[in-house]
Amino acid sequence: MQNDAVRSSDAEIVRQVLDGNVNAFEFVILRHRGLVLSIVKKHVPEEAIEETAQEAFVRVYQSLPTFKGTGNFSQWLSSIALRSCYDYWRKAYRSREIPFSALTENHSQWLEEAISKMPEEAPDEREPQKEAREILNWALGKLSAGDRMILELVYLEGLPVQEAAELLGWSKTNVKVRSFRARMKLEKLLRKVKDQGGRGR
Amino acid sequence: MRFRVSENESVKKAFRDAYSAKGRGEIGEEWQSQVMRRVRQIGPLSPAAGFWPAFESMVWRLAPVSCALVLVLTFFFMNMELEVDSDYLGTMAAEMEKPSLVELFDLEG
Repeated sequence: MQNDAVRSSDAEIVRQVLDGNVNAFEFVILRHRGLVLSIVKKHVPEEAIEETAQEAFVRVYQSLPTFKGTGNFSQWLSSIALRSCYDYWRKAYRSREIPFSALTENHSQWLEEAISKMPEEAPDEREPQKEAREILNWALGKLSAGDRMILELVYLEGLPVQEAAELLGWSKTNVKVRSFRARMKLEKLLRKVKDQGGRGR
Repeated sequence: MRFRVSENESVKKAFRDAYSAKGRGEIGEEWQSQVMRRVRQIGPLSPAAGFWPAFESMVWRLAPVSCALVLVLTFFFMNMELEVDSDYLGTMAAEMEKPSLVELFDLEG
């Protein structure tokens, strides 16, 4: 089955599925599971990876009739996977399932130290610092689902505006504006963490 | 220019490292068969939507805008001063009538 998947092109597989061969969709999963999982793993918590990736593939299947066949299939698929992550966060924020871990004096201290370091002094660690991860999770948890997605794509992954806009299905202007606002909100939150440390001492 | 914590290179790098380390979780073997089970439940797909389904979805998309427009227009017409307009029309009609009667009965000087 895997050999067949390698031989056929995406467009051929899509045509087979649209002709009623539901099982041919397994080839799509085989070919693109790595791509979808790499996106989903980055954007949702570990416990939600499986469910979100499943949801993404089911959506891909349901949306196949709308795939024009002229564009890049991987990009189209990535866009659906990313929107599934966005919807996961929208649902999570609505039901208030975001874990807000409280920040301590250590976090403020870590931030102060990181600010005072020169970029070349920053350790090139394989394992990221625990404090950085916790501050980031705390700050992203305080933002809306849209702000979270845009910060993850533009600020943390460093994607160009055009690419982020294509993936999210937003206009370039919208991405620029929302990215700026989200950064300002993040800045405000980080200042709060930093100032709390200053007051505590 | 004001210093920004989020734009500090060390902070940014630490956040980026923390973020990229996120994508390391593994998923179970059962995962793929579960997706296929759900796909089989949905069944074969119908071909791409033709003109009427597309038209229908467009109509539904425009429905809220149409409703809002009807409300705005209703509010606008309800607040218009219709009495003034009707007085004006009455005066106009009388003015138009007068010369024609004068002409008809040759009452002019």
